[in-house]
Amino acid sequence: MNEYKEIQSGSKPFKRAYVALMLWFVGRAIEAAARVDAAVKAEFDGLSPGFTFSLGVMPQGPTMIVGKDDQGLVRYRGWDPEGQKIDLKMKVKNLEGAILMFTFQESTAMASARNRLIVDGEVPAACAIVRVLDIVEVYLLPKLIAKLAVKRYPDWSFGEKIRNRIRIYGGAIFGL
Amino acid sequence: MELPGYYEYYCGVKIIAGHDALERIPGILQDLHARRPMIVTDKGVAGAGLVDIVLGAVKDQLTIGAVADDVPPDSDLRVVNRLAALYREQDCDALIAVGGGSVMDTAKGINIVVSERADDLMKFSGAGALKRPLKPLVAVPTTAGTGSEVTLVAVVKDHERHLKMAFVSYFLLPNASILDSRMTLSLPAAITAATGMDALTHAVEAYYGLSKNPLSDATALAAIRLISGNLVKVTRNPSDREARLAMANAAALAGMAFSNSMVGMVHTLGHATGSVCGVPHGVCMAILLPYGLEYNRHKREAVMGELLFPMGGSDVFAGTTKEQRTDRVIAYVRQMNQDLHDASGGRHARFFKEVLDREGKPAVPRERLLDIARTALGDGSIFYNPEDLDYDDFLMVLEAAWEGVALDPGCIRT
Repeated sequence: MNEYKEIQSGSKPFKRAYVALMLWFVGRAIEAAARVDAAVKAEFDGLSPGFTFSLGVMPQGPTMIVGKDDQGLVRYRGWDPEGQKIDLKMKVKNLEGAILMFTFQESTAMASARNRLIVDGEVPAACAIVRVLDIVEVYLLPKLIAKLAVKRYPDWSFGEKIRNRIRIYGGAIFGL
Repeated sequence: MELPGYYEYYCGVKIIAGHDALERIPGILQDLHARRPMIVTDKGVAGAGLVDIVLGAVKDQLTIGAVADDVPPDSDLRVVNRLAALYREQDCDALIAVGGGSVMDTAKGINIVVSERADDLMKFSGAGALKRPLKPLVAVPTTAGTGSEVTLVAVVKDHERHLKMAFVSYFLLPNASILDSRMTLSLPAAITAATGMDALTHAVEAYYGLSKNPLSDATALAAIRLISGNLVKVTRNPSDREARLAMANAAALAGMAFSNSMVGMVHTLGHATGSVCGVPHGVCMAILLPYGLEYNRHKREAVMGELLFPMGGSDVFAGTTKEQRTDRVIAYVRQMNQDLHDASGGRHARFFKEVLDREGKPAVPRERLLDIARTALGDGSIFYNPEDLDYDDFLMVLEAAWEGVALDPGCIRT
């Protein structure tokens, strides 16, 4: 009888590493933005105590987890969902879809529209988190790129945007 | 034509349409190896004699296991469980849902319980929880609007725990949908108008939404063409069988379009208005559709202009410059609402301040617009809308829709 070797799909280590890095960075940036930006804080305040969500890539990750702690502060909770109670799971169907999202060739809205994103959890919470992601993307990205990532670029004052951007970058990179 | 880089489309429902389509039900169930279906319906449908028409069409060839006619206007978990028990007691092996959205949702809920032998329906909520085909389900819609006869979603409410459970699965699609003109002949003019505008909204939002694709475009355009030619006509003359059948086809086509391309801000605001003020869904759609077009036009001008062809016909389309087409589309929808208002003796509402509740009081008090705008922020249909909306944007649209005035283009943030 012939022997057939099981064929594993390509692991695409560089793309996976890039997405993992972006998720880590965006996760920490959300934590920082919840301290700095009133709209992000208000979105999280409107979610239930202890609310936790994950954003990851199917089937094996990478994943980032962000949630509210006992004091209601928003915390980046790493990449491992093991042992964490996650209220909302947002999953990109595959790595290529995640690359499109995180190289900002496709907005979160377009990813949803093209069936690339699966949302498992309460829809109002998912709406709030998509709004948070949009705001964070505007802070993290230059206007030219952010305009591709969000439906409508907000008309914030230049000074406020730069001040908050510096604080969010500081929080994401150095944990300030 | 706009071709997305990637899309998904599915509609696995067999459609049987005609003036005598009901007579095919026994054959369909036989093909599915079912011999003893349970009919699920509501008191209104049964009272209008529609179940008798179905029974008359099938009784010689089929044994009906049970007729459950007590589905409430809002689907309810307890009713689903009770009717699932009845299904088992009567040794049924298929379901025939005769009614509107709530009846379809209830039948789908029963189907999950009896097929999965579920003691807790909640285990199957969300997307992808169902892993195998369910019992045969035949849908017989009695309105021409919701499109639920071709959709893969069911919503069941747990009124005790104040939970709304949504179930999404291709296995929830009915095996067959029967579009028979006899089922809508007795529909009152105002309900005909509102449900027809619901179908138009499904098609229009699917056509200009972010998730549009060539297949949903095809069904949306066909639906719009049928609705444009028949909705006002059938509202004026409810016994027009050809127009009734055309509208039943249009609603199914629009259902195929929106269940694959989703809907946008008209539904976002419509769901919120229904939830806060209890306004029927079709009424909200009719009032809000022109505003969805106005609000999004700067992003979808060219696509919206194409709608003039199925709405106005080839001569009107060819005689209108590209720049004027979207204006004509918006004017056409507003004129349709006016014509339906006239044809229904003033019962079809054109703006929110003229919507009345059952006691004749205003159903949408102006001060409730704030609550509606807040509620809209949590509705997932907004993902698929071309332009973004925040609380202030929702409120601006609601104020205009309440008053019945066009949106001021200068107030739309781009």
